[in-house]
Amino acid sequence: MQHILEFQNISKYFPGVKALDNVSFKASGGEVLAFLGENGAGKSTLLKVLNGDYQPTDGKYLLDNEEKHFRSPHEAIEAGVSVIYQERQILMELSVAENIFLGRMPVSKFGVINTREANERAAKIIADFGLPIRPETKVKDLSIAYQQMVEIMKACSRENLRVICFDEPTASLSDDEIESLFKVIRKLRDEGKIVIYVSHRMSELHQITDKVAIFKDGRYVDTVVTKDTEDKQLIKMMVGRDLGDIYKNLDRNKEIGDVLLEVKNVSSDYVKPVSFTLRRGEVLGFSGLVGAGRTEVMRAIVGADKMKTGEVILNGEKIRIRSPKEAMEHGIVMVPEDRKMQGILANLSVDGNINISLLDKHSNNIGVIDRKAEIEQAEKSIKEFNVKTPNKEKKIVELSGGNQQKCIVARGLATNPQVLILDEPTKGIDVGAKSEFYEMICSFAKKGLGVILISSELPEVIGLADRIIVMRSLQVSGEISAEEASEDRLLSLGMIGEDENE
Amino acid sequence: MSEKAKKRMLPQAVSGEKVVLFLAIVFVFILFTSLNKNYLSVTNIVNILIAASLVGMVAIGHTYLIIAMQNDLSPGSLAALSGVTVALFLKAGLPIPLAIILTICVGIVVGIFNAWMVNKIQIEAFIATLVSQMIVRGAAYIICDGKPVSISNQAFNKLGSVRFIGIPFAVWTMIICMCVFGFILSKTKFGRSVYAIGGNKQAARLAGLDPQRIILTSFIMMGILTSMGGIVFAARMNAGQPAANINLEFDAITAVVLGGTSFAGGVGDMTGTFIGIILIQAFNTGLTMVNVSSFWQYVARGALLLFALTSDYIRKQRREKELLEASMKNA
Repeated sequence: MQHILEFQNISKYFPGVKALDNVSFKASGGEVLAFLGENGAGKSTLLKVLNGDYQPTDGKYLLDNEEKHFRSPHEAIEAGVSVIYQERQILMELSVAENIFLGRMPVSKFGVINTREANERAAKIIADFGLPIRPETKVKDLSIAYQQMVEIMKACSRENLRVICFDEPTASLSDDEIESLFKVIRKLRDEGKIVIYVSHRMSELHQITDKVAIFKDGRYVDTVVTKDTEDKQLIKMMVGRDLGDIYKNLDRNKEIGDVLLEVKNVSSDYVKPVSFTLRRGEVLGFSGLVGAGRTEVMRAIVGADKMKTGEVILNGEKIRIRSPKEAMEHGIVMVPEDRKMQGILANLSVDGNINISLLDKHSNNIGVIDRKAEIEQAEKSIKEFNVKTPNKEKKIVELSGGNQQKCIVARGLATNPQVLILDEPTKGIDVGAKSEFYEMICSFAKKGLGVILISSELPEVIGLADRIIVMRSLQVSGEISAEEASEDRLLSLGMIGEDENE
Repeated sequence: MSEKAKKRMLPQAVSGEKVVLFLAIVFVFILFTSLNKNYLSVTNIVNILIAASLVGMVAIGHTYLIIAMQNDLSPGSLAALSGVTVALFLKAGLPIPLAIILTICVGIVVGIFNAWMVNKIQIEAFIATLVSQMIVRGAAYIICDGKPVSISNQAFNKLGSVRFIGIPFAVWTMIICMCVFGFILSKTKFGRSVYAIGGNKQAARLAGLDPQRIILTSFIMMGILTSMGGIVFAARMNAGQPAANINLEFDAITAVVLGGTSFAGGVGDMTGTFIGIILIQAFNTGLTMVNVSSFWQYVARGALLLFALTSDYIRKQRREKELLEASMKNA
């Protein structure tokens, strides 16, 4: 019998975000199905719904025509659904065999664990996979690639395995290791399992997947046969083109002034030395894959992470920044990517969130806050940024994602910065709010601010930035002016580190 | 119900929790008065307030710390150490103001030590302050060789007995501190920062606040308040006792959580803490007055904390549910 996995009208809401919106499609056994989509498109959320980590707000899923409702990843595994994550989910101090049979080690009549039998059975599975590791070895002594293999073997050791999902499995693997992973994936496919493969690397999709399911903004777009579809078309489907016209209508008529910010060889524990300059009135785009080090450079500049080397020169003067507070005092403000974890203060109102960076300005010398000034500022910001909220006392988490983001940007702008760093400012927000942000970004630049725009959405960087810096593997891999920029060039710089035009 | 009516009800629902707490106090009073007529006497009510005074001082500090997602298990030990310290200073012939100031400095040092463990060695506050609970208690025994130090300075002991408008000095100290620190919490830059780091430390830091400094200040405040409480307690007892005030922090934390301050951080206020203090002390005093054995009192106090935590949990669930519904409407 061929296994079939079917999603019917799955929706998942988080406060302020619609992560999955009425997703319906089928996957069949005996083929490798890729999930493709931008960050926040809903791929990982769907995996988590499938393995019981999240409960869907609406809709259901069926495995072999039987409705399932997993309340925990454990239940999903018991039913033959396993997800292999980027971060290892194995116990480092235990042996390979113990990990494979975790929670169901073979036991004797008296309940004593039979390690020898476990090792023998594990050895069989390992041989099946053709790996040069021993069942007694502690997992912490294995390479990352083999640790991942242990996880896969753990999933496969279940007789009833029907669905196995890989979430960006190759992120930390070498080419050889990737090849042996692919061998295993093909083997699973040939055994008739449903294999789901999430990756950002286009080249891999053609190597390993049979079909591609495309997601965009929490919605399922379509499933296509990989070998019949060109990369360009896949990208087009995943990015969508409904924003195309918005960029044309933007008012980008402005004057680019003197050098405002000079960053020289700035590095931290998380990023290699990076240098760039930013001019007044300029929108400087930062492109590249997730994990390329774009956020990390900015965090080092604003003092959120400790700067290891390098210097920052603002208006021709060398400055030293040890914390985001000091960055703010110098007029450098960062609006972080992860709104929920690093942006909003969930317990405070819209008012409280907008005013939190202005406490010094709004309080007298013994620290008492001038509520009148705060209220004025909040009302001004709400109007200026068109925040849709019934009143300023509303808790910020009750607003939609886009409106929350407006509050965070308003908070930063209220401090009168010279440099504004926006990290994925339109991630996870709807199209309407996106275009409002684009207009805002242009107006900030027009006022003479230097804007740094980190974005994984290529049309967004191309449509907004005057100059684009591409990062790859924690360093700068190239710089392109707005006129020369194309999605292909950005992608090849970001993924392979080569400029197609050179 | 119309949308508008629902919206108007929301703030009322919050203050509704206070009404419930107030009703709980009324219930406790009725219950114990029916069991013992003397419960509702002026003397007894003043006794409740006196007993509440030291716990109250500590609870003020806990309100700040718990809102900031911190905690402190060392106040019981510090109150005892402060009592012994001030007694020893007075015995050595130091003038009263100097003895008090130096003792408060001891509280400040303990606060700095707690904040240092939390900020610099990144130990969870709950565990870090368990360390100081032990060390500080040990210090209290060491400096007096394990024996209570009696205080013969009558002017100092007067702090424990003097009354204004029938209310003892200890109670006035607590009430004034509550008003002052309640004002700081709700109206000042510092208070707002405490809420902000309790709500989301990372976000607050990126928004230009200095979480480590705010945590340091909160622990120092706790040190000062506890030492002050310990000094007044010693004056009431006419002695510094190294074994005193065990489990003091337990009652204070119970009161704070009963008063609506959430262990999830970022939520709470001083009015709630005040009501919580009165409730818990009325409860504890009542148990003693109706001759519940001290063994069973332990069980009852544990049950009360469990009750407080359960209601904290229910409130949290309700907040989350409301948010989810709101966001579904938006999406």
